[in-house]
Amino acid sequence: MSNSSSPDPPTSGSERALGARPTGRQKGRRGGGVMTVVWGIPGYLWLGFFLVAPLVFIVLVSFWTYEQGAQSGFREDWTLQNYIDLFGDDTYWNNMLTSFMTSLIAVAACLVFGFPVAYFLALKVQNLRNQIALFILALAPFWTSFLTRSIAWTYPLMGREGGVNQILRKLGVDEPVEALGFSTLSVRLAMIQLYILFMVTPLFFALSQVDRSAIEAARDLGGSWLSTFREVILPQAMPGVVIGSIFIFVLTMGEYGTVRVIGGNTVSSVGTIVQSKVEIGIQYPQGSASAVLLVAALVLGVFVITRFSNLREEL
Amino acid sequence: MSTTAATPTSPRSTRRRRKRIDWAKWILALYFVLFLAFLYMPMILMGVLSFQGPFGGLTWPFRGPVTLNWWKSLFDSSVPGSQAENIGIAGRNSLWISLAAGAIVALLAFTLSMAFRRNFRGSSVAFYVIMLALMTPGFLLALGTQLFWSFLDVPTSIWRTALGANVIWGIPFGFLIMLAVWNRYDNAIEEAARDLGANKRRTFREVTLPLVWTGIFGAFLFGATLTWNDYDRSILFQVNSTDTLPLTIGGLTFTGAIRPDLYALGTATTLATVSVVVLFLLITTIVLKFRGASSAPVRRVEEEFGEELGGPMRIEAADTDER
Repeated sequence: MSNSSSPDPPTSGSERALGARPTGRQKGRRGGGVMTVVWGIPGYLWLGFFLVAPLVFIVLVSFWTYEQGAQSGFREDWTLQNYIDLFGDDTYWNNMLTSFMTSLIAVAACLVFGFPVAYFLALKVQNLRNQIALFILALAPFWTSFLTRSIAWTYPLMGREGGVNQILRKLGVDEPVEALGFSTLSVRLAMIQLYILFMVTPLFFALSQVDRSAIEAARDLGGSWLSTFREVILPQAMPGVVIGSIFIFVLTMGEYGTVRVIGGNTVSSVGTIVQSKVEIGIQYPQGSASAVLLVAALVLGVFVITRFSNLREEL
Repeated sequence: MSTTAATPTSPRSTRRRRKRIDWAKWILALYFVLFLAFLYMPMILMGVLSFQGPFGGLTWPFRGPVTLNWWKSLFDSSVPGSQAENIGIAGRNSLWISLAAGAIVALLAFTLSMAFRRNFRGSSVAFYVIMLALMTPGFLLALGTQLFWSFLDVPTSIWRTALGANVIWGIPFGFLIMLAVWNRYDNAIEEAARDLGANKRRTFREVTLPLVWTGIFGAFLFGATLTWNDYDRSILFQVNSTDTLPLTIGGLTFTGAIRPDLYALGTATTLATVSVVVLFLLITTIVLKFRGASSAPVRRVEEEFGEELGGPMRIEAADTDER
């Protein structure tokens, strides 16, 4: 009892004897412990009340009946009608597909454009202080409002009279390119700009683990740049790629506010559809059903992405 | 490559190789600059447009003269068409709710990470629940919260519900920060304190907390900034358009009542957020440097005699542990 209730038993001996860095997390020791439960209670109460219960309720309500005039907007009668309606709703599926494509493009583009950035920061900047400073510089926009960034993207940069069109005009393009503002294209480009940091950050941390001398050794042993990349760098980068892809896929699929700003009223995403069902028609059950399908798509996507690397082992 | 590789162990050869111009590095550096330009360009253009004259519009060309008119209208409600009053109320609301969310995130992230310091049965499921908070789209979380609360028949509001949803968004970030802190943390310090006679509570207060407070503060910062900027998680709980600053901005945008003062506001909030982050980094660096200086002698001893001291002592510790 005395051992199990002590908050910090010494790190397992074998680890230390091997010279592993002693850490505050103890792996490989089992035992419930009263303290673990006590520490866990407040967090999981909050998570249960504000995360798990709401998610469970989305699923429940999606199987309940819509009732006009009811204060909550639904009656607790089980039905499959919401899903049947959705499966016949072509607009919903078109939007789902567009949203899915947007997310796929965002993941691919963020990987392609973000990799050199992470590679540069992690492996080409030698001085640690410079590395941190440059990383913070790249990371700073993450702390600013996505709504503000979307507004900045839409009007001053992309719109009919935006910066890009101004430059194009100087270059001799007479007509402003309409497709840059309030369009699916603009939304897709903006997604790259808004979310690329979610790829650069995990990639940076993953690539920082690469032993630089291993790269040099590989080159000295006659490996080409390509084979060095494939054999030495890529395996280390893979967990970062997977984590970044999950982030971007999930966050862009669920986007709502930015799509509304950047797309104007012309582009809809799954988020705006759910919103329109809920806000305009107070169609909670159908909104929930579409939300459930969105989550199903997310889970499927994350499952596919995680096949590329054994995350639990890497973490 | 071929000649220098012949004597790879000689320090001279590696030095000579370093001196060669690393073209890849400079090309990547150029790319990095372009990347930063891509990231910052919209904000910079927005900032520039916020300094337009009274006839300034939302897009180019810049309608001069350069004035602080739109910035002034943020604070001064006597400027025609000024939203100063609403912005003031919304800003104060946002500030309080962000501080509250930050404090709750810091507390919960810390307690959760304390639970995870030891492996327990079901810890991987528990870990995935926290990651679920990261994965759930904000808008869906808000929808679910609304459904849940309407079922409980409790009216929603920013303080009751949006706060809860925003804390959910902050918890995984704070939690991951704390995990990183514990990964670098040396349990031997706590053991030493206990061996020297400090009881559990005193060890926690005087040894553990001072060592990990930067992580706790980082969690607070994440919770506060994420909430300060949130729109998706709050919009469904909006009662007044002045409930939070992003809701005010969103309201102005979607009703088409958007003017360059919105640009000034966006630039101002961005600068505020960034300066808070920079300030935090400065404080942490200074604190770490100070602490590093004070423990430098210890570290020097460890570096010099670590091999001799560490070996046997560690095995001894292993023995006592096994019992």
